Amino acid sequence: MKTIFWLSAVVVVYVYAGYPLLLAAWAGLVRRRPRQPADVSTWPAISIVVAARNEARRLPRRIANLREITYPGPREIIVVSDGSTDATAAAVEGFGGDVRLVELPAGGKPLALNAGVAAARGEIIVFADARQQFAPDALMHLVAGFADPQVGAVTGELVLDAEERSTPSTGSSQAGSTGSPQAGSTVGDGVGLYWRYEKSLRRNESRVWSTLGATGAIYAMRRSLWRRLPADTLLDDVLAPMRAVLAGSRIVFEERARAFDRASVDSAAEWRRKVRTLAGNYQILAQEPRLLLPVANPVWIQYLSHKVGRLVVPWALAGALLASAALMFDGWLYAFAFIAQAGFYGLACYGGWSEHRARTGSCGAALTGVAR
Amino acid sequence: MTALDRLARVAFTFVMMNAAAIAGLFALRRGRDVWTSGR
Repeated sequence: MKTIFWLSAVVVVYVYAGYPLLLAAWAGLVRRRPRQPADVSTWPAISIVVAARNEARRLPRRIANLREITYPGPREIIVVSDGSTDATAAAVEGFGGDVRLVELPAGGKPLALNAGVAAARGEIIVFADARQQFAPDALMHLVAGFADPQVGAVTGELVLDAEERSTPSTGSSQAGSTGSPQAGSTVGDGVGLYWRYEKSLRRNESRVWSTLGATGAIYAMRRSLWRRLPADTLLDDVLAPMRAVLAGSRIVFEERARAFDRASVDSAAEWRRKVRTLAGNYQILAQEPRLLLPVANPVWIQYLSHKVGRLVVPWALAGALLASAALMFDGWLYAFAFIAQAGFYGLACYGGWSEHRARTGSCGAALTGVAR
Repeated sequence: MTALDRLARVAFTFVMMNAAAIAGLFALRRGRDVWTSGR
C-alpha cells in the first residue's frame, strides 16, 4: 500500500510540477533564432480552411475578418459546409472571388478538413473555426515561421476572455468583441488559469523542439505534410501536426498570432469539451502508436510526460487517496496526506457549488443542481 | 470574489479535468457524436 501511495504521489507531482520545471530549465538552455521571409515576394500562397456546420449567422463576420487582416502574399478562403441545413452556402457565396465553398453531406469535421485541404491551392494551409476572430497581424505571424524549413506547422495563441480580464498585459480591443462571461461567471477563471498554465508548457516545448499539437482555432501546416484524417478523429489539431513531427518536422508556438474567443461560461460545456479532449488523447495513441516509441517520436519524453501523464494522473490521484486512507493509522504523514486530500476535494466541491450558484443565481437552485 | 473562492474554482477545474480523463476513456465510442472544434 505504501508503494501505491508513493508511486501515485510521484506521478502527480512529476506531471504537474516536476515536468514543467524541468522543461523550463531545458528551454532556458536552448536558443533558437526565428527566421522571417526575406521580402513580400517570398510570402507563400495560403489557403484558409474553415470547416462549418450551420454557421450562417457567424460566417459573414468571420470571412470579413479573414479577408481584411494583413497578409502580404496571395490568400484564398475555403469554407467547407459539412451537411449544413441553414443558409451557410448563401452566406459564403455572397463573397465570391477569393472565397470558395465546398459542400459535403454531414460527415464530421475530419472529413470536412480533408475536403478543404484537397481543394486548397496554397502551399500553407491555415485552419480556423467559424466562431473566433483573428488579430490583424495573426496571419503574418503565423506564416512567418515557415521561413525555417524545419518547421512543419505553426500554432497560434487562443486568447480567452477570462484571461483578458485577469491578465492586463494581454489586452486587446478585439477581445472585447467576442463578448465577456456572464457577471459572476466562475468557470472562466479556473479555465483561464489552466489555459495559461498549458500555454507556458507549450511555449517551452516549442523552444526545446516542438509542441505536442496545435490550437484548432488558429494553426497552419505545410500542405505537403497533410495526411488524410480518419473520419472518427476527435483531435484533428493534435493528430495532423503530430504526424508532421513524426515525419521529422517541428511544430512551433507563435504567441503573437492570436485568435480571440470566450471561455466556457458553464461547467457543463467545459466538461463536455474536456471529455472529448481526453478521449481524443486516448484515441491518438491507437491511431499513432509510434508516439510511444522513443526511436520514432523526437518529442517522446515530452509526449509521455505531458499527454500520457494527463491520462495517468487521475488514476494516480485515486490511488493516492485510497492508499493514504488505508494507511491513516500507520503514521502522521499518511494521516496528514489523507486529510489534505480530503480538504482539497472538499474545496473543489465548494468551487463547483459556488460556480453553479453563480450561474443559477440562487442557493436553492444551486443545491438542486448539485444534487442532480 | 475572495481568495478562497478563487482557489476553490481552480481546485474544481483540476478535479473536473481529471474526472474527464476517466470519462473520456469510456466515451471514446461516442466520438462521432461530438462535432464541435477543440482549442
